Amino acid sequence: MLPGRDAVRILFRIAFRNLTAAPVRTAILGAIVLVGSVIVVVGSSILDSIDRGMRTSIQGSLGGHVQVYDARSEGALELYGGLRGESLLEPIEDFSKVKEVLSKVPNVRQVVPMGIDQAFVAMGTTFDGALEKLREDVRRMEEGDRSAERLRLYDAHVAHVRRMLGLLGDDIQAARAIADLESREITSRMDEFLAVREARSDAFWARFEKDRYGGLEFLENRVAPSAMENAFTFIRYVGTDPEAFFRAFPLAEVNEGERIPPGRRGVLVGKQFAEEWLKLKNARRLDQIKDQRDRRGKKIAKEEELQRWVKDNRGGIREILIQLDPVQAEALAKDLRAALAAPAEEELEPLLQRLFATTDQDFDEKYRIFYGVVAPKIRLYKINVGDTITVKAPSKSGYFSSVNVKVYGFLQFRGIEKSGIAGMMSVMDLMSFRDLYGYMTKEKAEEIRRLKETMGGKEVDRESAEAELFGSAPQAPAQARAAAIDDRALMHQGGKRSAGSNGAADRVHGQDEIERGVALNAALILDDPRPSAIRRTMKDVEAAAAANGLGLKVVDWQAASGLVGQFVTLLRIVLFTAVVIFFAIALVVINNAMVMATLQRVKEIGTMRAIGTQRRFVVVMLLVEIAAVGIVFGLAGAVLGGVVVAAIRVAGGIPAVTDLLYFVFSGPALFPTLGRGPVAVSLVIVLAVAILSALYPAFIAMKVTPVEAMATDD
Amino acid sequence: MTTIVSVRNVSKDYMLGKTVVPAVREVSLDVDEGEFLSIAGPSGSGKTTLLNLVGCVDTPTAGAVVVTGHDTTKLSERALTDLRLHTIGFIFQSFNLVSVLSVFQNVEFPLLLQGRLTKKERRERVLGLLEAVGLSEHTRHRPSELSGGQRQRVAIARALVTRPKLVLADEPTANLDSATGANIIDLMRDMNRRDGTTFIFSTHDPKVMSHANAVVRIADGRIAAREPAGAAAGGR
Repeated sequence: MLPGRDAVRILFRIAFRNLTAAPVRTAILGAIVLVGSVIVVVGSSILDSIDRGMRTSIQGSLGGHVQVYDARSEGALELYGGLRGESLLEPIEDFSKVKEVLSKVPNVRQVVPMGIDQAFVAMGTTFDGALEKLREDVRRMEEGDRSAERLRLYDAHVAHVRRMLGLLGDDIQAARAIADLESREITSRMDEFLAVREARSDAFWARFEKDRYGGLEFLENRVAPSAMENAFTFIRYVGTDPEAFFRAFPLAEVNEGERIPPGRRGVLVGKQFAEEWLKLKNARRLDQIKDQRDRRGKKIAKEEELQRWVKDNRGGIREILIQLDPVQAEALAKDLRAALAAPAEEELEPLLQRLFATTDQDFDEKYRIFYGVVAPKIRLYKINVGDTITVKAPSKSGYFSSVNVKVYGFLQFRGIEKSGIAGMMSVMDLMSFRDLYGYMTKEKAEEIRRLKETMGGKEVDRESAEAELFGSAPQAPAQARAAAIDDRALMHQGGKRSAGSNGAADRVHGQDEIERGVALNAALILDDPRPSAIRRTMKDVEAAAAANGLGLKVVDWQAASGLVGQFVTLLRIVLFTAVVIFFAIALVVINNAMVMATLQRVKEIGTMRAIGTQRRFVVVMLLVEIAAVGIVFGLAGAVLGGVVVAAIRVAGGIPAVTDLLYFVFSGPALFPTLGRGPVAVSLVIVLAVAILSALYPAFIAMKVTPVEAMATDD
Repeated sequence: MTTIVSVRNVSKDYMLGKTVVPAVREVSLDVDEGEFLSIAGPSGSGKTTLLNLVGCVDTPTAGAVVVTGHDTTKLSERALTDLRLHTIGFIFQSFNLVSVLSVFQNVEFPLLLQGRLTKKERRERVLGLLEAVGLSEHTRHRPSELSGGQRQRVAIARALVTRPKLVLADEPTANLDSATGANIIDLMRDMNRRDGTTFIFSTHDPKVMSHANAVVRIADGRIAAREPAGAAAGGR
């Protein structure tokens, strides 16, 4: 027989009255439940938002929804790089087959070929650039150009080179002053030092006027190596079909310049990569100081790091000076004097010193002056839109492959522009990727074999090639140096080189050509990207791949993203552990309090039992009591959690203090949203814990016999 | 007259550590309907144990207790609870009201457990009883706002509200001053006379005993004597 409605009513009444009768106990239990509920609601809201952010970042930048790669691969695909560098993937030999099969799988909208790798980018130094201009002048003059304009340029370029030699010499003097003169480093470079000293002398420049080509050769081959600062840099790129790439990844956009035209070879350099590695160091540091000040509220006066950047900037002025010939330098000095209200006779160097000696008071003004006055007159990035750069990589075949590609623009991923994880990535056309990757299809191998035959070329390995080109050819240094810049010579042999590379750069490749060849992995974009649909489609893709003997490994976007993708899982484990610990403690505390309360009420319970109350009634009464606490304070906690979440949003979100956070937040700050899920989960957890913790007290209550009612108070 | 309670050869032992303490030894006792019976004896003599056995809140070690024809030793825990709810009313030495309920709700409580009456019927019965015990003015008060005598009146009302055949009272006046105690006994006696409800109460107060129509004297767990009230009162 169930207790009647009236009995239930009185049961609830007693339960609630018991709660109000012991306000302190109820408040303590309530507070525990409330805090637990807030933790769950806020924690899981943040996690859900991170999950969403990460989904946006990964799916929208490189991951797509599903990734496939060759099942024979030694390593797992890690789109954003792993701890041990790039993933060791076996190539998919013919992407077009994969595309053909997988495109037919239901829910698959797009199949995008990819190949992620790292490569060197060779960049001419500033000194090389200046020499190049000078060589152009010399060539024109030797051809008879004696115009005033040409002579003015020639003088300016000579002055620029001499100015750089001055700076270079100063550097060497400074280095020698602190170095051990007997050290191998110094002795082995003695030739260079002597060459620089020679080139700084007026006698050298007097001779230069008589034999300009000879002088240029001396400068290019004996002096320039001393100025090899930052001549190479690493880039991480994804070789792909740019057309398909931009359709597949909604976050990808060109920040400056244009997309690689269909079928063309070209590269879009990662904007963030450019900022960090290609930008003039002083400008980069100014940006960083500005970022720290504006977004983090840091002060130069207080932060050691900011002070160091200011100091580095004052020391890094040479990088700007070296770029300017005397005419340009004077023009800049004039503008700077006006902008900085400096004394009329102040030279450029002290002016720049003055500019970069930033304090909290004048930073914004000086930042503005730098970008308004200095930046337009100098080369801010080592690579600019429109440049053709030489990209080299150790190919599969062991030697270095190299391609010349045009920089069509800078690439960034919307929302995560400042994230290094995605922002370091550059996009290159698939044809160039294949050249660099060096995996030859049978046809290509055949073609090269035929070419070699017709040209009479011989196989030269890297070692002997270097010896041949550098070591044993001092009589033809200019040629050697030009060849060294473009390692393509090693692959294509001599005269074929320039024609070949120019041809490749200019040719428009057909879609068929792009797709019929090697890729390392492929991103699948689905029509229905919900997790359940992704799982289903993965099964279908596996089945289709197996049926067609493609031998593909199929992973979801999260697995494909490697360590980055594990971040949310890691956070979930952390939150879960915290919640478990918290509620374990809560369980003990609530249990204790309820046991105490039950023991205090033994007589009352005994009385109720004596006058005809069933055990069940007593048990339910106690459970209702604690469940009421759970529901009321759990709901209050959910509301408070909602308020906390809203407050976080109002306060500007959770700042992404690290690069990883920037990526997983999919922006500079995380704006958590309150979902129904976390609220429901928190209520269920809170209620379950409350009832669980009331079980033992309820058991005690159940064991109370009516005899207890008879006990006297003493 | 019909026998309402029949105690047959009942013994009850308690374990005190490893020692067996016999509280009641081979007691036999019949109580007729409508009696106003006092169980008398010094502390520790077994009064309370005997009452507990009769009230089905405790089970005998040996023997049988038959209440309104039911052999309580053969009933389940749940059936015993129902028997208590429907047949027996309890009045306790220390009143034992539910502290969080009002006077009215305390009295109404057993009726709610029974679930037989409508709200209106309950209200009439509760108010009628509260009037009878003289607490019409205090229906909304909490037990803590009442004096000891008032609380015991509430307890009496609660014990009687289901119109039980048997009311058991364990030292109902022990925590009251003598005037109030006498008052309470008078009230119980009135109820006994009015409805014919059987009362069994324990006491060690001769004045209280004197109101009973019979006194069972108990000592060392055995019935020493059963005598009419007059004798107990010492020739009153």
